[in-house]
Amino acid sequence: MRDYRHGRGKPRTGWEKNSQIQRRSLTCFNLGFTSTLFRPHQYRRLPPPVAAMPQGDYIERHRKLHGYRHDHFERKRKKEAREVHKRSAMAQKALGIKGKLFAKKRYAEKALMKKTLAMHEESSSRRKVDDDVHEGAVPAYLLDRDTTTRAKVLSNTIKQKRKEKAGKWEVPLPKVRPVAEDEMFKVIRTGKRKTKQWKRMVTKATFVGPSFTRKPPKYERFIRPSGLRFNKAHVTHPELKCTFNLEIIGVKKNPNGSMYTSLGVLTKGTIIEVNVSELGLVTPAGKVVWGKYAQVTNNPENDGCVNGVLLV
Amino acid sequence: MVQYNFKKITVVPSATDFINIILSRTQRQTPTVVHKGYAISRLRQFYMRKVKYTQQNFHDKLSTIIEEFPRLDDIHPFYGDLLHVLYNKDHYKLALGAINTARNQIGKVAKDYVKLLKYGDSLYRCKSLKVAALGRMCTLVKKLSGSLAYLEQIRQHMARLPSIDPNTRTLLICGYPNVGKSSFMNKITRADVDVQPYAFTTKSLFVGHTDYKYLRYQVIDTPGILDRPFEDRNIIEMCSITALAHLRSAVLFFLDISGSCGYSIVQQAALFHSIKSLFMNKPLMIVCNKTDLQPLEGLSEGDMKLVMEMKAEAMKTVIGQGGEATDDEGVLLTMSTLTEDGVMAVKNAACGRLLNQRVEIKMKSKKINDCLNRFHVAIPKPRDQKERPACIPQAVLEARAQQAAEKEKRKTERDLEDENGGAGVYSASLKKNYILANEEWKEDILPEILDGHNVADFIDPDILMRLEELEREEGMRQVEDDEDFEMDGKDLTPEEQEALAAIRKKKSMLIQQHRVKKSTAESRPTVPRKFDKSREFTTKRMGRQLSSLGLDPSLAIERARSRSRGRKRERSPERGDAMDVDTDESNKKLRTRSRSRSRSMSRPPTEFVPGAGFKDSEQKVKAIKLAKKSVKKRNKNARRGEADRVIPTLKPKHLFSGKRSIGKTDRR
Repeated sequence: MRDYRHGRGKPRTGWEKNSQIQRRSLTCFNLGFTSTLFRPHQYRRLPPPVAAMPQGDYIERHRKLHGYRHDHFERKRKKEAREVHKRSAMAQKALGIKGKLFAKKRYAEKALMKKTLAMHEESSSRRKVDDDVHEGAVPAYLLDRDTTTRAKVLSNTIKQKRKEKAGKWEVPLPKVRPVAEDEMFKVIRTGKRKTKQWKRMVTKATFVGPSFTRKPPKYERFIRPSGLRFNKAHVTHPELKCTFNLEIIGVKKNPNGSMYTSLGVLTKGTIIEVNVSELGLVTPAGKVVWGKYAQVTNNPENDGCVNGVLLV
Repeated sequence: MVQYNFKKITVVPSATDFINIILSRTQRQTPTVVHKGYAISRLRQFYMRKVKYTQQNFHDKLSTIIEEFPRLDDIHPFYGDLLHVLYNKDHYKLALGAINTARNQIGKVAKDYVKLLKYGDSLYRCKSLKVAALGRMCTLVKKLSGSLAYLEQIRQHMARLPSIDPNTRTLLICGYPNVGKSSFMNKITRADVDVQPYAFTTKSLFVGHTDYKYLRYQVIDTPGILDRPFEDRNIIEMCSITALAHLRSAVLFFLDISGSCGYSIVQQAALFHSIKSLFMNKPLMIVCNKTDLQPLEGLSEGDMKLVMEMKAEAMKTVIGQGGEATDDEGVLLTMSTLTEDGVMAVKNAACGRLLNQRVEIKMKSKKINDCLNRFHVAIPKPRDQKERPACIPQAVLEARAQQAAEKEKRKTERDLEDENGGAGVYSASLKKNYILANEEWKEDILPEILDGHNVADFIDPDILMRLEELEREEGMRQVEDDEDFEMDGKDLTPEEQEALAAIRKKKSMLIQQHRVKKSTAESRPTVPRKFDKSREFTTKRMGRQLSSLGLDPSLAIERARSRSRGRKRERSPERGDAMDVDTDESNKKLRTRSRSRSRSMSRPPTEFVPGAGFKDSEQKVKAIKLAKKSVKKRNKNARRGEADRVIPTLKPKHLFSGKRSIGKTDRR
């Protein structure tokens, strides 16, 4: 704060003040130490004139030399006791997004507290466990012998080939919402008078391969904008439960139609083939697996990324 | 002189706080209301703005963190090494690198999503894209939580580091633990460093300041160093080694010759020899501390030899700086911080040696030539051979001598106390200086209560005097009752009344005048002499006073008049009679005109004067030109003036380009 009361109306700035203090202290200092007239031991018991220069550990040092305030512990205890009331006031008064966030956090805290309390209340004494016994239960050595059927052990590849032939797949999302054509395409008007409407622009995410080149613009009917093209997918392994960022090799099938499959449109439920060489999978024969199918599980145009689940 | 101050780094928030701050800022500072029915471009713009705003904020805050933390390669190597010792350079760089990467990645995320937002065709789609973008950015920052916490801890520690200026005059105190380094520091500076009987009390560097010959010296107290191989040293010892290695300072190596620190002189000498390579080019002093426990002369043969060896090493540094080979006073010194015996001598010797070394180095360097033209010692020519010593009156000299004698003669209470056994043993008798009527009464014990009354209520040293006064008053009262006293105004005759009124009026006038004339700063504004309105100080008055003293005033008058006239005397011949006019009633016009022409009779402004700060007259002329140019008024409105050049467009492009199917081209 600038003090305008002193001096002839000139504000005393902080810098001036400091220099004045410094000057004062310098003179005290000089008197004490550079003069050789006074014998040093006369000043042995005088306290230092002003507080000493604080060093890096000044807080601990002050505590060591002077201890705490006389009411320090009481104040601390009371402040901590007041926190409870403050928190509840905040919880009641907070509005809007802050209120919601706070409520969520608080709910999580309370749930955790309840769990720990329940844990503490669990007694460590052992109790007898009663297992219900079924009526008519018979021990294994009294069972009748069943007829054995001869089952062939089939390899995984053969199973997959059979499934492919049948056209039946076990996928995580068996049913998806159908996407209408007007939702999928946007009509582009062309021509000098903008009357021709035969061009369509795809509004969903697409995959075009690395060797893709456009048809001459005059003849291309379906425009797949480059901003909506994706090359990589975040694929989760269902058993390992971890996600990898894998390259897309191609679109296998789009549930909305074969046209979309040929265009390479990625919507929810599309089966894509991804490059799994990263995972280091090996067939029983010893060959390295580098391509596997995955199903898209989100709407890539809404999320900006393609998420999928690996089909094992 | 850069003052290294790491206190200005902004607080680094934790990861969750960081995210909350930025997201709540986005929510507050961008528009929040949007409806489904708005035009699609408006919807897109709304959400793009949010994504960009968030990215911008993240970028700004992360950039401030990266920029404010010092780069270890750019700061003074002393600080670079100190920070490396304390925080590990690699870890530090990794943390800052992680923040930099996060910043770039956030930028990429924002760019990608803004591109995607351009294809958004519904409110829901744009909103989901914005949510995805912000979520991605926040995930990136959440991964930084470890680095941010680490940087916050570092920042707090850095702010507490002592502000050591690596380039100024420094005294560095080093030695084994517990030899008395911190006590010495406390004695010569105002730093309050912890002094304890256990080793490694000082755990980091401490700074204090002290003065010598009007210059400020930094004193740095280091933690003790043990004699170990370099690789085995811990962080605390490394701090001292860093300070020793990088600061150009005077080194005071402390030696505890009494051995009460727990280490023998042999060990201390071994340490000295192992770190003596760090003392290169530094004025070195061996200081033997704790002489009150063991004087230097009382050392054994072997120890004395070791001490002399160290002294020989220290002498080498003196020779290296060009000092004389026989100058060994400032190399080995003894002192005791407990009795404060020799402390000041050590300090003065160290400061003196450091100062000499620095001055020598400066004189030899090339930069001195830039400064030399600013120094000009003007020595007045002696007028005659007469000696003119200081004039002290005889009485003052005698008084001084008397005072000195008195000081020595007088025995103080302190001295008495010391003689009779010290502070705890002797208690001064406070009653021996009492002034009483009878000397024997001094040692009597005074009762507190007597006959049921407090004695203190009845004690008064002036009681006899008071009694007399009371009696006098009583007597006077009686007398007054008898006499009549004159009443104001009633018993006076009209003439007397008039006289009284006149006297009172005159008195009040005098008082008022005196108050007006009273020349203190509170009663009148201090106006400098040149606006002396009452025109009292004229040359005539001066001449009168000088001639009354017996001196010839003509020279002085001429000088005074010439200063107020200026050099353009020849221009105004008709003012010849004005030169003689110097009375109190001189013409106001003449006064103002002469004042406006007043000019100093010194040399022309472009002439080179030694000591003015310029190399030669060319430089001076250039400086004057620059000064004049800087006073010129700028055209801040940036409007075209008559002096500015105008280039008109003779062939405007819009009239001369483009095809026209029909129509003329003189208007478009």
